[in-house]
Amino acid sequence: MDPSFLAQLLLNGIVIGVIYALIAMGLSLIFGVLEIVNFAHGEFYMLGAMLAYFLTAHWGFSYWPIIVIVTVVALALGYVLYEGLLLSLHGEGFERSILLTLGLSMVLQNGAVFLFTTTPKMMETSLSYSNIVVGDLRLPVARVFALGLGLFAFTALYLILHRTRIGKAMRGVAQNRDAALMVGIDPRAVSRLAVAIGIGLSGLAGAALAPVYAVHPLMGFSFVFKAFAIIIIGGLGNVSGAAIAAVMLGILESLAGGFLPLALVDALAFVSMIAVLLLRPQGLFGRGVRV
Amino acid sequence: MKALRIAAVVAGLVALFAIPQMTRNEYVLALGVSFAAMSVIAGGLNLVYGYVGLLSFAQVGFFGIGGYTAALLVVDRGWSLWAGVVAGGGLATLVGLVIGYSSLRLSRHAFAIVSLSFALLCMIVARDWVELTRGAMGIPGLPTPVMNLPWGLSWRLVRPADFYYLLMGVAALSHGLIYLVVTSRLGRAMRAIKLNEPLAQSQGINPLAYKLLAIALSALLAGIVGGLFVFYLTIVDPSIFDFYYTETTLIMVIIGGPGSFWGVLASSAVLTALPDMLRFTTDLRMVLYGIVLIAAMIVFPGGFGGWLHRRRVARWRRPRPGAPTNTPSITP
Amino acid sequence: MTTLLKVEGLTKRYFGLTAVDDVSYEVEAGTVVGLIGPNGSGKSTSIDCISGFQPADAGRWSLAGVDLTGLAPHRIARAGLTRSFQTVRAYDELTLLENLCVAAQENDGIGWLQALLRGKPLRRADAEAEARGRDLLATVGLADYAGAPAAILSYGQRKLLAIAASMMARPKLVVLDEPVAGVNPTMVKRIEAVIRKLNGEGVTLLIVEHNVDFIMSLCSRVIVLDAGAKIADGPPSLIRSDSRVLAAYLGKARAAELDAEHG
Repeated sequence: MDPSFLAQLLLNGIVIGVIYALIAMGLSLIFGVLEIVNFAHGEFYMLGAMLAYFLTAHWGFSYWPIIVIVTVVALALGYVLYEGLLLSLHGEGFERSILLTLGLSMVLQNGAVFLFTTTPKMMETSLSYSNIVVGDLRLPVARVFALGLGLFAFTALYLILHRTRIGKAMRGVAQNRDAALMVGIDPRAVSRLAVAIGIGLSGLAGAALAPVYAVHPLMGFSFVFKAFAIIIIGGLGNVSGAAIAAVMLGILESLAGGFLPLALVDALAFVSMIAVLLLRPQGLFGRGVRV
Repeated sequence: MKALRIAAVVAGLVALFAIPQMTRNEYVLALGVSFAAMSVIAGGLNLVYGYVGLLSFAQVGFFGIGGYTAALLVVDRGWSLWAGVVAGGGLATLVGLVIGYSSLRLSRHAFAIVSLSFALLCMIVARDWVELTRGAMGIPGLPTPVMNLPWGLSWRLVRPADFYYLLMGVAALSHGLIYLVVTSRLGRAMRAIKLNEPLAQSQGINPLAYKLLAIALSALLAGIVGGLFVFYLTIVDPSIFDFYYTETTLIMVIIGGPGSFWGVLASSAVLTALPDMLRFTTDLRMVLYGIVLIAAMIVFPGGFGGWLHRRRVARWRRPRPGAPTNTPSITP
Repeated sequence: MTTLLKVEGLTKRYFGLTAVDDVSYEVEAGTVVGLIGPNGSGKSTSIDCISGFQPADAGRWSLAGVDLTGLAPHRIARAGLTRSFQTVRAYDELTLLENLCVAAQENDGIGWLQALLRGKPLRRADAEAEARGRDLLATVGLADYAGAPAAILSYGQRKLLAIAASMMARPKLVVLDEPVAGVNPTMVKRIEAVIRKLNGEGVTLLIVEHNVDFIMSLCSRVIVLDAGAKIADGPPSLIRSDSRVLAAYLGKARAAELDAEHG
């Protein structure tokens, strides 16, 4: 067995794992604070990627401005999503939130298909063809940047959740909603920020990955279901658990892809989830472990 | 009143079964078959979501498992159609019980997500486990099924009308069974669980048992129509697990009203006929469904059934002449 | 007097806080027993434990000699221990009569198959349940609303319905969790009358309440909890002047004052 082959697989796995983590953490944060499973989460990833593509292809923006623009737009979309739609649920009924976000995902996904067709588009940036080479390991620059962005986002999220007042309020609500309300935390402000951050992370992931994979309207579809599996594995509502589970899954998929037929790789996430549910239902890290 | 209702149902059934006599239009017959299959899936979903209150995305999985099982048993092992279809239903039921039992121990949140992942896993397995399912190409060219009837008769299902009769018949029986359950005290217990689970528990009702019953019944029926449906299509492939079926049956239940037997039946009919009549492309239709879903969740989560219930409550609240008035000791 | 409910060493901890601390007591058949204590004393928690809605960390409890420890709530209900809830629960979309019939259905010996086949046993059981339901509705004064959806009831009426529902399955013991909390004085009298009537028919009741006067006038025995532990257990007359009880409710200084006054 070639150690550099293994290392390459590991590296690829970490990169994809970090991207999974960005998506899963947002989903977990939204679930932890609002008890809502956001079905449309993958669509914001897709929109982020689409926006990144258009900024490049039609207006020739370069990489870093795109990242910033898309993240800001995604944060704003999250804000709008909360104030516009989620608020009217009045926190009532988990099922209603799933169906509402499912409806939203149907609108966004099929709307995108209608407007842009399902033909995948490749995003060409200045980074597209350069690689970083370390010994026997090759890593496309775009992936390295994606990894870096992911780590940056983790750190930023960690700082927000642990060092700012509203971040701590978010953690409080996620751990014990009633207690948090009793000490006077404003649920609306906290929820709004949680959704904005969650969607922002999703959009950022889309923009970060747009140069790496092809961009098309159905790209969010497969990611979001893996994200669901990830948050179950990590523990419902546990943001850092989701991150760790995501990276683990990414590595696992990458390693499996190197040795097993590619076909079975997709099933890994769901099989792992079922295994976790049967053996350790509260998730690998449980709910409410400190973020 | 009751006699009138029974008469209406009988008349409806007679009309349904008379349609193939009145028209050779294959398009109409195809709609009929589609309605039969989708209405059973929607009915099962209504049982699980509308009556017991469990949001489930697993129906399409049961449908497809029924289809693949029946097809494989008939083609690879030479089983008869009856046996294959029943086996498909049985396997779907077993799978339903497993995922239900394992995830309901955790919470209904987990069940919703697991049911979703299960449906996706089905699609992945169908596409990728080529040795078993023949992969993305599926199993085309399913043979003309022959049903062995009593008294040595056999029925070769060749024309669309044949499938129409068969599936309508099975659908009628399925809905009949569902109706029997939901109008019995079993259905009442399910509604109690949905309305107020702790209260139901404190009255001796075992929530897990009823939830599993609903899941099992919905899986059995979906699996059986799935087995029959693929023979109508003469092909089974991974597209039988398409999310499209899930979205469509969900809309049927939401619009008809979760928990309303007749509402969902009616909306299944309307939503089978309407889209084709309106000639939307699939994408726009799904956008429309999405908008309807969003609007429903915000404005009228109970669908038609819920609206009717609210009217009933309002009627009781309005002061009527001669109605019992509050005695002084019952001060609100 | 036979012991109906026996609770031994009940303990429940939440995140390092001991909500119920080694509580033991007995309830004799045919009596009305009160369970009082200041806020946070663990009254409702102990009820949640013995009715199966919260797992206990330690202790055992039994009803008429049958061990109920650790059973699921529906099994405990079928064993004859029914309860009402602090947040008054009802099936809003069902009629009052349906609310009551649901409460009876798991206890009349009709299985699933019989329920589907709709034969004579089912019809008989349903008729009995309906008759009993109407009877109970009359007892609590809600007979006029038998066919109305429960959603139309006022808060006090819902409490009456809950009491009626808890009686439907002919329980051995009915536990009422704050039956008169938040209810106006006239309704309090009504509920008190209902409880007396039911007790007169032989029902044993355990009542958790904040309204101390209500408990004192109704119960033959009162158990007092404070900070999770049992601090008193006896007839109302004794409890009323028990210094530990006074201290729990009024604070030590005031209790000492009162003690001095009464000599």
